[in-house]
Amino acid sequence: MLPSVFGKVVHDQWRATLAWSVGASVLAAFYLALYPSLGGLAEMQTMLDAMPPELRAFFAGEGFDLATPAGYLNIELFSFVLPLVVAGYGVAVGSAAIAGEEERGTLDLLLANPVPRWRVVIEKSIAMLVGIVVLVGAIWIGLALTSVAMDIDLDLGLVASGLTSGALLGMVIGALALALGSITGRRTLSLAVAMVVLVVTYVINAMSALVEGLEAWRPISPVYHYVGYDPLNNGIDPAHASVLVAMTLVGIAVAVLAFERRDVRG
Amino acid sequence: MAEPIIQLSRLTKSYGHARGIVEVDLEISPGEVFGYLGPNGAGKSTTIRTMLDLLRPTSGSARLFGLDSHRESLAIRRRIGYVPGELSLYESLSGWDLVHYFGGLRGGVDDRRVRELADRLDCDLSRETQALSHGNRQKLALLQALMSDPEILVLDEPTNGLDPLTQQAFQSLIADSRRSGTTVFLSSHVMSEVERLCDRVAVIREGRLIALERVDALKARAVRRLEIRFAAPVPEAAFSRLPGVTDLVVDGPVLRCATTGSLDPLMKAANRFEIRDILASEPSLEEIVLAVYANGGTEGTLNHAA
Repeated sequence: MLPSVFGKVVHDQWRATLAWSVGASVLAAFYLALYPSLGGLAEMQTMLDAMPPELRAFFAGEGFDLATPAGYLNIELFSFVLPLVVAGYGVAVGSAAIAGEEERGTLDLLLANPVPRWRVVIEKSIAMLVGIVVLVGAIWIGLALTSVAMDIDLDLGLVASGLTSGALLGMVIGALALALGSITGRRTLSLAVAMVVLVVTYVINAMSALVEGLEAWRPISPVYHYVGYDPLNNGIDPAHASVLVAMTLVGIAVAVLAFERRDVRG
Repeated sequence: MAEPIIQLSRLTKSYGHARGIVEVDLEISPGEVFGYLGPNGAGKSTTIRTMLDLLRPTSGSARLFGLDSHRESLAIRRRIGYVPGELSLYESLSGWDLVHYFGGLRGGVDDRRVRELADRLDCDLSRETQALSHGNRQKLALLQALMSDPEILVLDEPTNGLDPLTQQAFQSLIADSRRSGTTVFLSSHVMSEVERLCDRVAVIREGRLIALERVDALKARAVRRLEIRFAAPVPEAAFSRLPGVTDLVVDGPVLRCATTGSLDPLMKAANRFEIRDILASEPSLEEIVLAVYANGGTEGTLNHAA
């Protein structure tokens, strides 16, 4: 059951991952199930249209078309809740990977075994990827079951695209927390900073259409590459997805280099 | 002396604020049981964690099996067993889980060997480590260090806080390892443990080695108090000016003195008279080392004889 660092993370994390997955899946299903009963969607659209553009951009992003289930999910799930859930999971796992274990003091015993440090980081990163895939997979299942059961017109392939993009965002923020933890050895710090980065890049993306000068910064925001091109309606875009993958790989590379170079705190 | 299996050369580790170690030189032969003695915070764990590549030297080097502690750490760690000074185990794992996890990282572990060690240590492998007492956690730590039959056993204060019975079990396992040819690097602040188990001992204080000697030589260097009772009064002149004899007092048939080094001159002199009884008080290693400390630990006390 525990042949490797990867197996150990799976052993440690599967219960928590299951809980996150069930919770997120039920939440997503619940949002979607409300859609047919929202008779006043037109009114909600009117309300959105009447909102100050700053507020609207902040909460709903740009695709605020409530006429379709996908437009509704964009606002209710993909613009705000999903990034929080996947990034929250990524940050929890990423900050625990090195810094969490270092703070608990178990790294000394682990690294006394003939396992290279880079391998610990890589196996824990792969475990994080698997966890995030399980998480968005569960959300997809929740949405799929609801749309079938309630006969809601939803393109499940496009939903998978949107969720894949969300998973990549989770990996970017998770890898950031992993890198911060590998540099500092401090779990809470890396968790907090990574979440702040998520919020700041969220704001950069949401407000860039409205605030002068912010538009230029948009390409550095992983949130922009996640949702800015509306993957739920347009399918996943290879260019944007590649940026997220590249950001993730940079985070993991920094984590490896930093951890290989420094002392383990006793 | 054979090629040293552990070789520290001017090994220095400086931290920003805290004291590390300063130019530690040590050579340990294969099969030796080496005691590393010093008070808490003297630099024992720093030395050990550098050997395991958990810390990187500021300058100097640590070589084990002739391999560099940092660049060739993986090859070293394959052949080493380690009990950390501040032990943290994975709390949700059982003993068996832990053994299989680390065994897996070492390319497999022999369950029979694990069972045999568990029996010797009276160690329950089925319980989660968070349910174990301090002593049982230490047992598990020693077990995982021994299970791969390492060539070097690095133990950082392994018996700290253990009850005497468990300490004995530890010491007998360490003695076993020594018989099978394992090199043991044992840090401790318990002198009696080092005295019982070790061939040689280094004393570290404030990051510097202040003594390095064979345990028996250290004991021989110590001042022994001697009292010889003769059948009849003896002349003081027969014992004065003997090498290594000081504080001589002859009181009728009773001679009292302090000796260092060989007892032979004194015994030969005493042999000319009829001896009734000899009382010798041998100082503990603790007293000897305390004497070293009292001398301020100057370079002069460093003796590189191996």
